Amino acid sequence: MKPPHAKATAAEPSAVNAVHDSSTRSFYEADARARIAGLLDRASFREFVGPCRRMASPHLTPLDQPGAFDDGVVVGEGLLRGRRVLIAAQQGAFLGGGVGEVHGAKLTGLLERAVTERPAAVLLLLDTGGVRLHEANAGLIAISEILRATLAARAAGVAVLALIGSGNGAFGGMGIVARCCSAVLMSEEGRLSLSGPEVIETVRGVEEFDARDRALVWRVTGGKHRFLLGEANLLVADRIDAFADAVLAALDGLHESGDSLVALEREQTRLSQRIADYGDCRDGLEIWRRQGIAEPERLPLLDTAEFLAAAATRGTPCN
Amino acid sequence: MTREWNDLAQGRSRRLARAAGFAQARQVRAEDAVALLEAVIEPGDRVCLEGNNQKQADFLAQCLAQADPQRLHDLHMVQSVLSLPAHLDVFERGIARRLDFSFSGPQATRLAGLVAENRIEIGAIHTYLELFGRYFVDLTPRVALVTAQAADRDGNLYTGPNTEDTPVIVEATAFRSGIVIAQVNEIVERLPRVDIPAGWVDFVIAAPRPNHIEPLFTRDPAQISEIQVLMAMLAIKGIYAEYGVDRLNHGIGFDTAAIELLLPTYAESLGLKGKICRHWALNPHPALIPAIESGFVQSVHSFGSELGMERYVAARSDVFFTGADGSMRSNRALSQTAGLYACDLFIGSTLQIDLQGNSSTATRDRIAGFGGAPNMGSDARGRRHASAAWLKAGAEAARPGEMPRGRKLVVQMVETFREHMAPAFVDRLDAWELAERAKLPLPPVMIYGDDVSHVLTEEGIANLLLCRTAEEREQAIRGVAGYTAVGLQRDRRMVENLRDRGVIRRPDDLGIRTRDASRDLLAARTVKDLVRWSGGLYDPPKRFRHW
Repeated sequence: MKPPHAKATAAEPSAVNAVHDSSTRSFYEADARARIAGLLDRASFREFVGPCRRMASPHLTPLDQPGAFDDGVVVGEGLLRGRRVLIAAQQGAFLGGGVGEVHGAKLTGLLERAVTERPAAVLLLLDTGGVRLHEANAGLIAISEILRATLAARAAGVAVLALIGSGNGAFGGMGIVARCCSAVLMSEEGRLSLSGPEVIETVRGVEEFDARDRALVWRVTGGKHRFLLGEANLLVADRIDAFADAVLAALDGLHESGDSLVALEREQTRLSQRIADYGDCRDGLEIWRRQGIAEPERLPLLDTAEFLAAAATRGTPCN
Repeated sequence: MTREWNDLAQGRSRRLARAAGFAQARQVRAEDAVALLEAVIEPGDRVCLEGNNQKQADFLAQCLAQADPQRLHDLHMVQSVLSLPAHLDVFERGIARRLDFSFSGPQATRLAGLVAENRIEIGAIHTYLELFGRYFVDLTPRVALVTAQAADRDGNLYTGPNTEDTPVIVEATAFRSGIVIAQVNEIVERLPRVDIPAGWVDFVIAAPRPNHIEPLFTRDPAQISEIQVLMAMLAIKGIYAEYGVDRLNHGIGFDTAAIELLLPTYAESLGLKGKICRHWALNPHPALIPAIESGFVQSVHSFGSELGMERYVAARSDVFFTGADGSMRSNRALSQTAGLYACDLFIGSTLQIDLQGNSSTATRDRIAGFGGAPNMGSDARGRRHASAAWLKAGAEAARPGEMPRGRKLVVQMVETFREHMAPAFVDRLDAWELAERAKLPLPPVMIYGDDVSHVLTEEGIANLLLCRTAEEREQAIRGVAGYTAVGLQRDRRMVENLRDRGVIRRPDDLGIRTRDASRDLLAARTVKDLVRWSGGLYDPPKRFRHW
């Protein structure tokens, strides 16, 4: 098998100088600003309410917690392969990407702007455990405002895409936001769920869910599983440019017209069927087997392309 | 009155006679294990409980802790590692009283508590080699409780890749009329190979669960920081290349894992393949897989194995020591000897370094012990054979008029601040306070300053071999101690002078640009990358599978 980073073994001195092109490097390893820089066309990004404005959280200082000048989220506008987009990227290293009052207001403001500006899309680069617990109710209210603004943008005909390929994934309230988006784009490293694994283990016991079994965590919340369940519309390799390609593919395939009652009822039927089909499963592996995938045990190790080929053989249900 | 000269042998016969009812052809049922221990062991006995760095005779440890303290008491435990709660339960329950050991890792805090309450009398804290040595001098076990992967009907043992301490313990016990009891994961008709012959084993118990093995040496590359990449570049260019380090041992940790992962990329780009890092005394670190696959590594002898590496090691028998059955054979005593006498360099991390270069992992309320680091990290004064690296280091340390000799390279690699912003450089080691509290005869120093050849931090490398006075040495250490209080108190002129002489070398001085220190240089950035490098042979424990 080919070594994964053969590229870095070129002769001196280029090996050391060959810092990967910003768009081909790992989405997972990049931070919020590097993700935006890699996704958007060169020098096209304009930030709103940037760190110079010092709109930090008012709730952290009384708790003796250090704040961040951007409150852990970068929002702005720019061009993605020439298309004008609004974009937000959460800074996972700051308080686990938690949504506080200011952080949430920046996201809500961006989504509301979409209604008047009608960009090609709003891109939400999620890297978050959900509500920032330090800010309690302010964070919860922020989530509900983000949800409302997301649906309002979609109702106005603007596609809202969730990009999930980060260390924190998208959990808690932001997991709900992701599923309210027009489409979810994930890498297998990304995770999407409601309660985090540790929370489930704490509340329901290790028999219910062993959060230390990281392989299980990924088989239940990871990008591959979410793709197989039909919750992630596209699964991409962990490269920033792969996410950019996926954004274009998703936009070309989407027609945002607001969810009609018919569509909602269809979705409800699909989800009811899903519970009937898989409700007793304890592990993603069991679901994959029921989907008729041959040798489901090998799925976790497959590259994205190999995985998509293997997934194409599944029988249904779902999707 | 004439003396009988076989008291030990008679004691052995007496014990075996008491145990006769429990055994059928050496095999004892798991439910009789506690009774067997109560029959075989006598109050005051010296008992070796096999607790290794990795594999644990956990079932026998639990059985011993369940014994009746009326029958078994005042035992003297001799064991290399205390890592399970049961290892201390025997003291809490009054079954054992005295302890000679080497390393306590996860039980370090509880051990300190029991010592403070006078529940444990510590004989001494050893290095592995010292303790093994004493098994053959004055700490020979009367009864040894060991663990193996499998036994056959005759009582031959197969220890599998994690042989570790078993041969040393059994040899010391069996050849001085002691009794050897083995827990095994399974009893089979035919063993893949015999690691311990049946004649040295008295009882075999099929344990209800496989023995516990800790994946101690697995470091997830995803957690390596760019500062650690920079330090690894410094180590490779500033030390490995400089001295031509070809035979070496790495301590555990992310710092050294970063070096291993830079060999196929950065070191290769410097043209160092085939010139450095060919021979290792090292556990099968998953982080070494890319270097092995790239042809950097020729041989690795291991203290123990590593969970998940079994198939990979078996498939790379050119590199690792394996039996005819294909699986690895490790041996802690022999690999420690290899690290001490046959390696030119040890590099490892520590918690605290003082101004003389003494380093310690002790904190005031933890008795962690030593393990193997003091042997790996010391200049072996009994060494006589020469190598280029050893001679060069010796020449740098030489004083006019002295007999020329070689020197081992002992590198302490630390970030100036550890987690929670604790400074790695201090005026006074916490080891002093621990020594007072636990009434130890000496502060527990892991590596003495006069054995350290280099201190490496993100600020640069201090070559202590080139220091001519105690003051120079202190300033060389301060000169790489960054923004710690120790670093800020440097004499700037003297430090610049040391830099001019090459005693201190900054990244710039070595032609290393700090902005090149990118995670992109790591040959593997995730555990999954390691699996890919291994061609699917490495099977990481599930706690490391982020996919």
